[in-house]
Amino acid sequence: MEGLKFAKTHEWVKVEDGIATIGLTDFAQKELGDIVFAEPEPAGTEVELEDMIGTVESVKAASDLFAPVSGVIVEANEAIEDDPEQINQAPWDAWFVKIKMANPAELDDLLDQAAYDAFCEEEGA
Amino acid sequence: MKQTPLYNRHVALGARMVDYAGWNMPVQYAGIKEEILAVRRETGLFDVSHMGEIRVSGQGAGAFLDWLLSRRVTGKKDDQITYAILSAADGGTVDDLLVYTMGAEDYLLVVNAANKDKDLVHIRQSLLAYKDVFKDRQAEITILDESDLYGQIAVQGPGSLDCMLQVARELGLSREEEVQLAELKRFRQMRLTLEGQDRDLIISRTGYTGENGYELYIPAAKTAYYWDLFIQAGVEPCGLGARDTLRLEAGMPLYGHEMSEDINALEGGMGFFVDLDHEFQGQVMKDRVRRRQLALVSDTKVIPRDGYEVYVQDKMVGVITSGTFSPVLEKGIAFALVDLDTPEVDEVQVLVRKNLQPFTVVKPPFVGK
Repeated sequence: MEGLKFAKTHEWVKVEDGIATIGLTDFAQKELGDIVFAEPEPAGTEVELEDMIGTVESVKAASDLFAPVSGVIVEANEAIEDDPEQINQAPWDAWFVKIKMANPAELDDLLDQAAYDAFCEEEGA
Repeated sequence: MKQTPLYNRHVALGARMVDYAGWNMPVQYAGIKEEILAVRRETGLFDVSHMGEIRVSGQGAGAFLDWLLSRRVTGKKDDQITYAILSAADGGTVDDLLVYTMGAEDYLLVVNAANKDKDLVHIRQSLLAYKDVFKDRQAEITILDESDLYGQIAVQGPGSLDCMLQVARELGLSREEEVQLAELKRFRQMRLTLEGQDRDLIISRTGYTGENGYELYIPAAKTAYYWDLFIQAGVEPCGLGARDTLRLEAGMPLYGHEMSEDINALEGGMGFFVDLDHEFQGQVMKDRVRRRQLALVSDTKVIPRDGYEVYVQDKMVGVITSGTFSPVLEKGIAFALVDLDTPEVDEVQVLVRKNLQPFTVVKPPFVGK
């Protein structure tokens, strides 16, 4: 997963041309188990850092996704609403929202792969 | 954390382990959905060794239990099992349990793991109160915690009898006992003496999934041997996650959700298991019914969860006590506890993340029948 950044609230972030694509990490989907419901916040929503950008539910539990960067949601992936199992099958492809970043410097506060893995190990053990 | 006799088996099978009522228990193996569907379509295997076993025996034990519980245990067939509510003097619920008749004036109470210690205290205190109220009655009663003597596994699903018969020889059943097993009725038990063990193997046709099934109470040291028989026969191991959804789909209550010290059995939808025509300790519950239970199915894809608010005509009337996604119905299902004067309606609304969502009121069970 070259070039990805991660939030401690278990979102992955991929950046291209000032747009951050955001999804749920592999670690988080495994923790949740069978995902049966997913709902991204709609396009057009303005988000501050750590605002809710989506909801995901497994058979057992509900969990929210939070904005790792501030900006405007320019696209929401409605395909995951119809087929939430995608998030279990391919968490790196099943993105939730794309955010046009207001402040790209916020990316510096996110974790890289190695730091995120270490964080999960600590949290999950 | 306590471990059941099957802890090493769960770890070897790759289960995800969690703390449940102080026990290190498997919450899932392959995945909750797969495990649920295995039980609905074929057979699943559960470790329920964390359940508590309390032996109540001695002269007058039957009459004492009649007074202690929401239903009579006396006057039943020798092999009959009674589901009953253990209620407090104020009518609140201490626990729900199964009572196995083990012999004359000899009963085994199977209780929730999380409640076992408080149950023991409650039963012992109740015995003192009983002796005080009924001075003329014989009550040479012993109350023993036998939880550590037994492991317990549940074999559940439409294929469970076939599985049981497939391993009957290894279970130690004779030809006649195989016939007895095949003909065992619901809420009945059979017992097998095992060589070198001071406790019998109990097989009962009971469960917590709504499917046909059997529960085996096994002398602790032999539990892994019996577990392995079913795993080798290809039965799918299932965790507590699947168990909780299966019981809710089947419309069965869970202590701490549908009933508690604050929610009496009549409020929690267990009126069928409360015999108000007999004298018992928690009888006052009939005068303390302030709420009632509703069973709800979501009209949309939303999933109700424990604690969500329930509305009728824009007025909050109660809360969800258990809610989940039913993989069989592919819908959200829930029990709600609402004010007694809530109007009879076909539809209610549940507050799910700031939005009121429509739910249909149904008659449980949610799945089956």
